[in-house]
Amino acid sequence: MSLEMTMSQPLSRESRGFPDYELPRLVRLTDNLHGAAFFLMKLLPARHMLDRAAADGRLKPGGTICETTSGTFGLALAMLAAVRGYKLILVSDPAIDEHLHKRLLELGVTLEIVEKPYEIGGFQTARLDRLRAALEANPGSFCPSQYGNADNPRAYAEVAEQIAERLGHVDCLVGTVGSGGSMSGIARFLRHLNPDLHVIGVDTPNSVVFGQPDGKRLLRGLGNSLVPPNVDHRQFDEIHWVGAAEAFLATRRLHQHHALYQGGTSGAAYLVADWWARTHPDRKVVTLFPDEGHRYVATIYNDDWLAALPGWTGVLPEAPQPVAHPSDVRPSWSSYRWDRQTLDEVLAAANPAARDLAEAA
Amino acid sequence: MPGDVISRFASVRLGTRGNQRKEHGFGQVNGHHGEILQGIFPDDAGRLHRGLVTLPCNIVSSTAVFRPAPGNLVTVPDDKLKAAEAARLTLDSLGLHDQGGHLTVESTIPVGLGMGSSTADVVAAIRAVAHAHGAALAADEVARLAVRAETASDSIMHGDLAILFAQREGIVLEHLGPALPPLEVLSVNTAPGTGVDTVKQPPADYDDWEVQAFRPLRGMLRRAIRTGDAALLGRVATASARISQRHLPKPAFEEINAIAASAGALGIQVAHSGTVVGLLFDPRNPATARRVAEATSRLDTIGLPPALHFRTDAVEVRHVA
Ligand SMILES: Cc1ncc(COP(=O)(O)O)c(C=O)c1O
Repeated sequence: MSLEMTMSQPLSRESRGFPDYELPRLVRLTDNLHGAAFFLMKLLPARHMLDRAAADGRLKPGGTICETTSGTFGLALAMLAAVRGYKLILVSDPAIDEHLHKRLLELGVTLEIVEKPYEIGGFQTARLDRLRAALEANPGSFCPSQYGNADNPRAYAEVAEQIAERLGHVDCLVGTVGSGGSMSGIARFLRHLNPDLHVIGVDTPNSVVFGQPDGKRLLRGLGNSLVPPNVDHRQFDEIHWVGAAEAFLATRRLHQHHALYQGGTSGAAYLVADWWARTHPDRKVVTLFPDEGHRYVATIYNDDWLAALPGWTGVLPEAPQPVAHPSDVRPSWSSYRWDRQTLDEVLAAANPAARDLAEAA
Repeated sequence: MPGDVISRFASVRLGTRGNQRKEHGFGQVNGHHGEILQGIFPDDAGRLHRGLVTLPCNIVSSTAVFRPAPGNLVTVPDDKLKAAEAARLTLDSLGLHDQGGHLTVESTIPVGLGMGSSTADVVAAIRAVAHAHGAALAADEVARLAVRAETASDSIMHGDLAILFAQREGIVLEHLGPALPPLEVLSVNTAPGTGVDTVKQPPADYDDWEVQAFRPLRGMLRRAIRTGDAALLGRVATASARISQRHLPKPAFEEINAIAASAGALGIQVAHSGTVVGLLFDPRNPATARRVAEATSRLDTIGLPPALHFRTDAVEVRHVA
């Protein structure tokens, strides 16, 4: 969008929305660790993407929005569509949470549930096909495309502003990576003020975002079966992969020790940030807690459900296992020195473990 | 009409105070050394404005003397066209449409470096005309007249106040504090002998990322001012200078930045519509004298000896009007 157009765009504060719900509350957890606890982090990028689309005509007043999501981004879009008078079509699959499903329907969303996965490409490809069909059936409709829309990372300037104003100089930023919007956005903004900022991305085993082979994942919200264009790999100094059981246990610890009732990705971020803050006591760390715990009452906050998880030990590791290459799949917490490389650079570097194996044979 | 409002207020003041027209009016204002921050910023309603935060430089200034007389307005030197225009606008705003006089403007501010020479002449002229008629104009009124005279103005009419100022509208977007944390500045002119027509330049065409990136800069600036943290101020200035480098590149920018970093400066700062670059130091730090000396000798070796060295808190603010 041209600068002139941006400067004359309609004011988001004159449209309805939830400005006071968009930004996190900052909580000091230890001397050098600060948590940024969101109500629903996706409200911020969703609102920014809709504002921008409304400003340049991609989204008409009373128009239709189509998106594929079964998570918090869908909920954020549904809240905004409800108060701003847009029609919203969300494509999802049978794994969608029952309570979220009801809540979306109550907000007036048209939910299209893809019943069967494709033989090749699974639910992800089936959902993308259904989304394409919905866009074609609704000419002039707008697809926010959170994985590729550059307004997603750019929305997070407001979080960077809040961090810079409240915490001043920050040494380390830790957060989970799903679409990549929050971490890539905040990291780049804060690094403009501090080129030495240490950035740690938190992913989960069997997610391809940082080079692991695709597979089934129990921990939702972070990780992906595709590499979203909004992940700016060169922003990251370190990548950690946190397994579901550890993330859930850390989520409970965040509540037990710090009284913050947050979701599973918050637990994953807390596990890594707390470790880094403990091992770097003279450095200031800030970490992102993307949503609250209420959606996880029957799961993460239910002891019986946790105990039935495969591989459940009830014990939290003290530190990650460093790996020589992202393709060294481990089911539990591991870390890799990413060193601000691109994904191609990392993948092109031979996996030292595989090389050793080949040499031994 | 704002002009009519101003003239009504001004004439009320003239009347109630009983201030008679004087033989002479004086006006003076200090220059600046470019900006700590310049970009695009939302106001309270979310509307975007071009805005800036000026770095004061109180060792240079413009002075004007105005002698009222009926008829024409004569300005010396006669190439100070914007100062002449500002004097005319001020007379009109005071309701003195038939009044003229003799305006003399003198300045120690170098021209074309982005140090506010043009705005300083304009503000000194406005203050001199107002003073000659016993009218005390508020800084906001001076700012509005200045913008009308020269399209875009620096915020020097507000003195050392730390404000985010919309330079094309003459309004304050945010009051940041009574002053910036004190700084010691080593000034380099990166393009000696050329200069920039600071007013004729097209305004910077920031991209979508840059428009957003000004938000965290503003956030850190608020904290720097609230807590008196000169180091944070240096970070904000350096980040703003980096964005400016895409729009009005300074020769030898990277070399100067490297010298600043290796000499232990807080950062660098630029005139976003000029040629000067400032290396910023903390005057409260005992190592500063040594660091300034070190930076000076390195700047000498790349052929850019510092032209000025000043402290933002050292010279008393002179205020006439
Ligand atoms: C609960 C939760 N945590 C973390 C994330 C990851 O955030 P991002 O998409 O900005 O990478 C998401 C994304 O949907 C999420 O829903």
